[in-house]
Amino acid sequence: MTQLTTPGITAATRTRARNGRRRANAGDLLVVLSWTSVAVAISLYLAYGGAADFTSLSGIVSGIGIIGGLIGTDLILVMLVLAARLPFIDRTVGQDRAIAVHRSLGKPALYFLLAHGVLLTLGYGISAGLDPVAETISLFSTVADMPLAYLGLGLLIMVVVTSLVAVRRRFAYEAWHLIHLLSYAAVLVAVPHQLSAGGVLADGSWQRAYWIVLFVVAFGAIAWFRFAVPAIRTARHGLRVTGIEPVAPGVSSIHLSGRDLDRLQVAGGQYAIWRFWSRGTWWHAHPISFSAMPTGTSARITVRELGRGTGRLGRIRAGTFVSIEGPYGVFTDAARTSPYLAVIAAGIGITPARTLLEQSTLRHGEATVLLRGTDNDQRYLWNEVFALAARDGSSVYTMLGHRPRGASTWLSQEAAGRGVTIESVFPRIAESDLFICGPQPWADLVIRDALAAGISRRQIHVEKFES
Amino acid sequence: MRKRAVVASVLSSLAVLVFGWQMGTQAIGVSTLATGTLTTTPVTTTPVTTTPVTTTPATSTPATAGVAGTFTGSAASTRYGTVQVSITVAGGSITDVTALKLTDADRKSVQISSRAAPVLRQSVLAAQSAKVSVVSGATYTSDGYLQSLQSALDQAGL
Repeated sequence: MTQLTTPGITAATRTRARNGRRRANAGDLLVVLSWTSVAVAISLYLAYGGAADFTSLSGIVSGIGIIGGLIGTDLILVMLVLAARLPFIDRTVGQDRAIAVHRSLGKPALYFLLAHGVLLTLGYGISAGLDPVAETISLFSTVADMPLAYLGLGLLIMVVVTSLVAVRRRFAYEAWHLIHLLSYAAVLVAVPHQLSAGGVLADGSWQRAYWIVLFVVAFGAIAWFRFAVPAIRTARHGLRVTGIEPVAPGVSSIHLSGRDLDRLQVAGGQYAIWRFWSRGTWWHAHPISFSAMPTGTSARITVRELGRGTGRLGRIRAGTFVSIEGPYGVFTDAARTSPYLAVIAAGIGITPARTLLEQSTLRHGEATVLLRGTDNDQRYLWNEVFALAARDGSSVYTMLGHRPRGASTWLSQEAAGRGVTIESVFPRIAESDLFICGPQPWADLVIRDALAAGISRRQIHVEKFES
Repeated sequence: MRKRAVVASVLSSLAVLVFGWQMGTQAIGVSTLATGTLTTTPVTTTPVTTTPVTTTPATSTPATAGVAGTFTGSAASTRYGTVQVSITVAGGSITDVTALKLTDADRKSVQISSRAAPVLRQSVLAAQSAKVSVVSGATYTSDGYLQSLQSALDQAGL
């Protein structure tokens, strides 16, 4: 602790604490904004006399149905914003957490919209003296925009169901992704009935203004940050493959050349989403971490062959045109909160750990690194990390070997037998930022031990890789 | 931090909801006062474009016995569409009410207003004024209907 009195450390720590608070505040603000937007949707309905509908049975049923539709639509627009890769969201909570929230909202949004359809059909049916089937037929055939609205709901059901199946990996990623793009269509084809049949949007009110703004923001963000910005970056930097370098069985480094790559402003530890425009690979975009900091004209990424898509990447020819979305990610120096740095990387997880170490300005002894692999083949890029550690005066430990059978630990059998713990590897863990990079189940075990060692969630930074 | 976000979300959502509710009930109250002719049933929040509804102005011709002809009321816009009626007057009494336009924002509104219009016409012919109860379940239509009717009555000097 005496080292903490060094002015350089306290200044850096103070800056980090301030950044950490700012990021936490911004994250909280996002949560509050999301929930409040749902409340605003209901509130505007009430403000324009919605409560007056709740005077009869049919009115109550229809009223709840309308509110369900408003909540469902609001949630879907929030989901679009979360998936839009807004730089603000990526910087504060990270795109992976934003997508986790996006996923968790999918089912509730669908349920609200289903309830909307069912309750309004029932409510209108009651007031018109029609049974639900007859009312559905009457709605479908006599209201101009209703067939489109039913189409939207059908598409949405398909999107949510395929996503749930895809999460369980029983569905090809590419097919899921194509279907997922239909969600834009699902939302848009439902708009006409909201404007015409939905009386709540029908007049020049604040309510109508609110919804139009929300739609424009959500779709504008998607159009700009997911399509325009990547297209502009791709055109500006003209990335091409210059060579493929096998670094281990099933692992290749892809060397790229381009213009003004420093203007991408990649931070150490970040990744980008890459698309290689050759026959057989162009239809699949891959999230791959930088494995070296890009220079003005060259970049390097390293990829392990996991599925069929990445399997083909090892056979790309030099000269292949590459498009880029990103860089993204908060596995970076900007996320740090504490005076010391602990890095633990397994397998291909070494790539962001390596660029994080490369870009960070570290005091002698500030960083401790643990490299983890199951066998000798997984020691790729280790020499580069050793060199960076020697440059900064960081300590590096390595741990090779399988985990002990039947035990829930992230350690190798040999290390577990010797009594190694997370605290013995990282003695200053309580005052460290812990950067973990590796397969999800393994990373979860590291997190469990780290929390048990008494470090707070804010000090833990994870980049998950599929194993 | 997470707890703080949740608490702040709940508070801000509640505040927004209460505000909306207040706006809603206030609008309903104001609008009921303004129209005066209506019973306690809540009414549309949308301002109605007809002339302010009062009882027949004292300045108009007191002798109404000879009034005859067709008078078209001004259009009343409601949340679900425009409502406009015309009245046929003979010998100072309303002999017919014709709905020129009824709420038609969607099929639902058409359904409701086509059910309410005959009921309203009957009660107006019976009461010979716009002081009749609204048709339950057709508040917006009734409101617009009676507003437009009142303006037609004003023109006729009834």
